[in-house]
Amino acid sequence: MKLRFWGVRGSIASPGRKTLEFGGNTPCLELRFGLKNRLIIIDAGTGIHPLGNHLVWSGLQNGPINTDIFITHTHWDHIIGFPFFRPIYISGTKLRVYGPITFEEDTLEKIMSDLLRYRYFPVLHGELTADIEYHQLAECKMDLGDGITLKTKYLNHPLLCLGYRFEFEDKVLCTAYDTEPFRNIFSTDVNALDYDPITSSNGEEAAREGNQRLLNFYRDADILIHDCQYTKQEYFSSKKGWGHSFVEHAIDSALEANVKKVILFHHDPLRTDKELLELEKYCQAHFSNRSDLEIMVAKEGMEIVL
Amino acid sequence: MLDRYIRQLPPFPATVSKAMEICCDSNTSPTDLTKVISLDPVLTGKIMQLVNSAYFGLSREIISLARAIIMLGMNTVKNLVLGVTVLSAFGRHKDFQALNMDMFWKHSLGVGVIAKMIAKKRSINNRLIEGYFVSGLLHDIGKIPLNSKFSVEYMSIMELPGKEPQPLYISEKQHLGIDHTHVGHLIAEKWRLGAEISDAITYHHTPETYQGAQNDILFTVILSDYFANSSEIGFSGNRILKDIWPEVMRYLGTSTDLSIADVSEFNGEVAQEIEKAQIFLKVAG
Repeated sequence: MKLRFWGVRGSIASPGRKTLEFGGNTPCLELRFGLKNRLIIIDAGTGIHPLGNHLVWSGLQNGPINTDIFITHTHWDHIIGFPFFRPIYISGTKLRVYGPITFEEDTLEKIMSDLLRYRYFPVLHGELTADIEYHQLAECKMDLGDGITLKTKYLNHPLLCLGYRFEFEDKVLCTAYDTEPFRNIFSTDVNALDYDPITSSNGEEAAREGNQRLLNFYRDADILIHDCQYTKQEYFSSKKGWGHSFVEHAIDSALEANVKKVILFHHDPLRTDKELLELEKYCQAHFSNRSDLEIMVAKEGMEIVL
Repeated sequence: MLDRYIRQLPPFPATVSKAMEICCDSNTSPTDLTKVISLDPVLTGKIMQLVNSAYFGLSREIISLARAIIMLGMNTVKNLVLGVTVLSAFGRHKDFQALNMDMFWKHSLGVGVIAKMIAKKRSINNRLIEGYFVSGLLHDIGKIPLNSKFSVEYMSIMELPGKEPQPLYISEKQHLGIDHTHVGHLIAEKWRLGAEISDAITYHHTPETYQGAQNDILFTVILSDYFANSSEIGFSGNRILKDIWPEVMRYLGTSTDLSIADVSEFNGEVAQEIEKAQIFLKVAG
């Protein structure tokens, strides 16, 4: 299994001098499997634009593009690059797009095709020449063929968002973005006016179970790509409930789930290269002696072979 | 027609404005959000539907609101509630209605509160108690479509029991071809409410035909319904108080020493709970 990061930034693309090294594109991950070099893409953030160009310029001699795109959720930063994915304009391209939907009743096809309406874009979805199928996902286990198994799990984000776990030839890659720790949002202070013992204990248990469910999902992964948008200080001072994690949570989860390598991902758009390099140093200084866990900070263009 | 109506079921008038106020406030407390949802059978059912259909891989259905809100997140829940309440605020459901919705709301809430109290008295685990409340709150949900969509017929049916003394659900069946437990069952299926709630909705008038495993919640709801009707807590259209199937009392009584006398003691507490809810919702008594 091979991975290549085409976009590692969260929320909004952030090009500029201060993000040159780690990159400013929003999430897009290219996965390659086995001798057939089977291509699977996770998310269609702005990073899917350079990936699409790369596929068209380098890959068409091997025949038309035939691939699966797994959308983690339909927030802008994870889908906005879709209209700019060059293969959708090439006849013969076959795309299967998978993803969870919102609590509204719109289908995944409706949500994605709405990106290509005249009010937003000069081409209509119906005018695309590629053959595109849409599949709505919930928590499930799927056989993707070629020996690849996919498992999905809901994460903790303000919109239904799926983590993906790919298993192939004894190797496991797991994604956990966008997510934050589950927590009991109900009062546990018996003296508080809004304290209710039943709600409080249900909340405690739901949060504990939610976190445990995710640890089980990451269990023994070779690579866990984890949301790390905030610092701990940022998270606890003003970002609780925004659906993103902080470094200590990502690393503790990886340690508890016996993960081999954790890749910190979905960087805040304001996080500069300098700050991300400091983050890398901080991780090495604070966590390297706690276990064999390898910690990396995701960088655009980074390639990993599993 | 029923199917389309079930999809667009409006929340109760009593809760709409408070629900909108709470969901439009960016600093809403989770407790207030939970409280306003828990006071409305439709909103509660919709949240249960979402959590149970999204997380279909769950080993058991979620019947706790607190749990659903933690799993779905405040934003999702607020947006869902807003979506449902905004629809009703635009007056799509202002048809003539046979049942007084405020009285019906009181009855539903009363049955939920009593069911929770009985469960507490029987020392049911805290984790499970909310399921008793929710089942009580939702037990008559099937009356909402009948009340709104067949209001004229429903009005005349409600008058009937005086002429031919029989419970409302039997009159419904005779005159509309379907009764509220059946309609409720359709809603429960559509909302994937899970066996506990669904069986309480479907069998609360016919426990003697029940073959499932949810006796505990079902029987508690039946007793709570009986108590709410006999104490005239709200009104749900049923003027005939049928005796409780003895097995219900035997089951609840022998296993817990609970008697009608004990249940009557809840009267004051129920009134207090309803009053608290009314103050919270700013509904006139």
